[in-house]
Amino acid sequence: MSIQANSIDINLNNRSILKDVSLSVEQGEILSVIGPNGAGKSTLLKSLAGDIKPSEGEISYDRKNIDEINIQERAFTRSVMSQLQAIAFDFSVKEIIEMGWVSRGESTYAKEFEDAVMEVVIKCGVKSLINRNFNTLSGGEQRRIHFARTLLQLWRPSNSDDPKYLLLDEPTANLDLTYEVKLLNIVKEAASEGAGVMLVLHDLNLAAKFSDKIALLNKGSVVKTGTPKEVLNPDILSQVYDIDIKVQEDPLFITYY
Amino acid sequence: MHLTMNRILSSITLNRLHISPSQLFKLNFFVFLSALCFLIACVNGSIAVNLSDFLSGEISELTKIVLLEIRLPRVILAALVGASLGISGAALQGLFRNPLADPGLIGVSAGAALGATLVIVLGSKFLSGFMLGSFLLPLGAISGAMLVIMMLYLLTRGFGYQGVTYMLLVGIAVNAIAGVGIGILTFISTDSELRGLTFWTMGSFGGVTWPLLIPAILIILISVTSMMTVSRNLDLIQLGEPEAYRLGVDVKRLKYKIILSCAAAVGASVSLSGMIGFVGLVVPHLVRLFGGVNHNYLLPGSAFIGAALMITADMLSRTMIQPAELPVGLITSAIGSPFFLWLIFRIKRS
Repeated sequence: MSIQANSIDINLNNRSILKDVSLSVEQGEILSVIGPNGAGKSTLLKSLAGDIKPSEGEISYDRKNIDEINIQERAFTRSVMSQLQAIAFDFSVKEIIEMGWVSRGESTYAKEFEDAVMEVVIKCGVKSLINRNFNTLSGGEQRRIHFARTLLQLWRPSNSDDPKYLLLDEPTANLDLTYEVKLLNIVKEAASEGAGVMLVLHDLNLAAKFSDKIALLNKGSVVKTGTPKEVLNPDILSQVYDIDIKVQEDPLFITYY
Repeated sequence: MHLTMNRILSSITLNRLHISPSQLFKLNFFVFLSALCFLIACVNGSIAVNLSDFLSGEISELTKIVLLEIRLPRVILAALVGASLGISGAALQGLFRNPLADPGLIGVSAGAALGATLVIVLGSKFLSGFMLGSFLLPLGAISGAMLVIMMLYLLTRGFGYQGVTYMLLVGIAVNAIAGVGIGILTFISTDSELRGLTFWTMGSFGGVTWPLLIPAILIILISVTSMMTVSRNLDLIQLGEPEAYRLGVDVKRLKYKIILSCAAAVGASVSLSGMIGFVGLVVPHLVRLFGGVNHNYLLPGSAFIGAALMITADMLSRTMIQPAELPVGLITSAIGSPFFLWLIFRIKRS
């Protein structure tokens, strides 16, 4: 089971953003997408999420073309976290998290609502914040709340094996060291429980530590896909990022300054 | 059949999930409050009615006619207009993600008033003999309101967030244009066909009759109900349109639904009562102050508080300087404009 991009092209405003990109987000695995600014990482995430329709190629969820999946079903299968937007009204933190609860149609599911919210809140360590006004939180705290919402969207009862995918665009931006690692550990746990994860990351060392696979993007094309060891090669990285990058193996560690 | 039943049931349980018990209690209180206002407004006026006399049937024929043919439709109209302005304000604020969106301020009411005056004046000039059905007037007003919302849609690039002030500036322009139009139409129709300029700019509930009221009741009830069904989606769109879409909201459909319902509710209201300012702005904020910002609570709350406030404002307008009448818009503006100033200062501070 996987999300797959099959040689997709994306053009926005007559400019080619992605060219012939193929990639798959497998269940139980963390795929990190790295690359310089403007490489097309966020666009790739948005197209996998179904926000942008590729002009060529196709995107499929578990072998089913995304166009055949209605938006409610998509919301049930994958959750997305990307750039934040200001919120005009004073919602409480709890209300923002609860927005991740996608209508499941069956009312029996609704009984688990409170438990699911609490489970996610405790997992993300945001219990002390839930009654606060969301707009009074710091940028990092707001990100953590949005992350909790993203997790709630994919919450399943323990006996469910429906496929689920997490697509996270720079989830660690604005987070301090503690929460950076904490968040990625939660992501790792989700993957070990069967979720397929795609991360857009800037920090190569975080990508090295937490990914099962890495895709290196440059100028809209995939330069290389593979295990961290295969992709984080000093020659390739130095060429793509255009600075001198050293890689120390075992444990994998990247230095560039 | 089974599937639709399931869907309705699940939407009810889902709505229950996103409203707290204390909010439910407050909603019940708002219902009680508006019912109380309704009763008080029915018995008060230039001819006072004793309720127990009415119930036991011991009232004069005159009082009965005053009550059933004049006062009752008037109070019902006030309640409906208050409810539709309140809920439309709340829905537009939610859709624009802008706390200052109000049908009056952003020109939707003015568009409706222009539409209504056009139907009346042109109707009598060019369509004489054509039956001025009681649906034609609200239809003209609804088209006017819709035109303005569509224009706002284009100017804000599909309700994209453009900051708080931009839309108000557009509103000033729209209000001015509509004001000129209504002014000219009032001028060229000097006879009784068009009610005075004060009616269209300050509003009044006087002179409404059952045949005029019934289509408005239908239109307003349908559009208010249709807004209630999307309250959860209005919550989700606060996260931004892409996020709402990813959470399964058909954003385009939501927009059309709100645009149509608001235009219908405001249009039907304005065609019978003129422009009444600030209700759509003040009411949702009051309701938020009482108990929260989620739309499952806010939309019904705004409808009931809007009704209660409007019934009271109308009662004041007809009892304060008897036998004369104050325009009801004067009263709502007197309460609303200081509140508007306070709101601007509060937004500026944060």
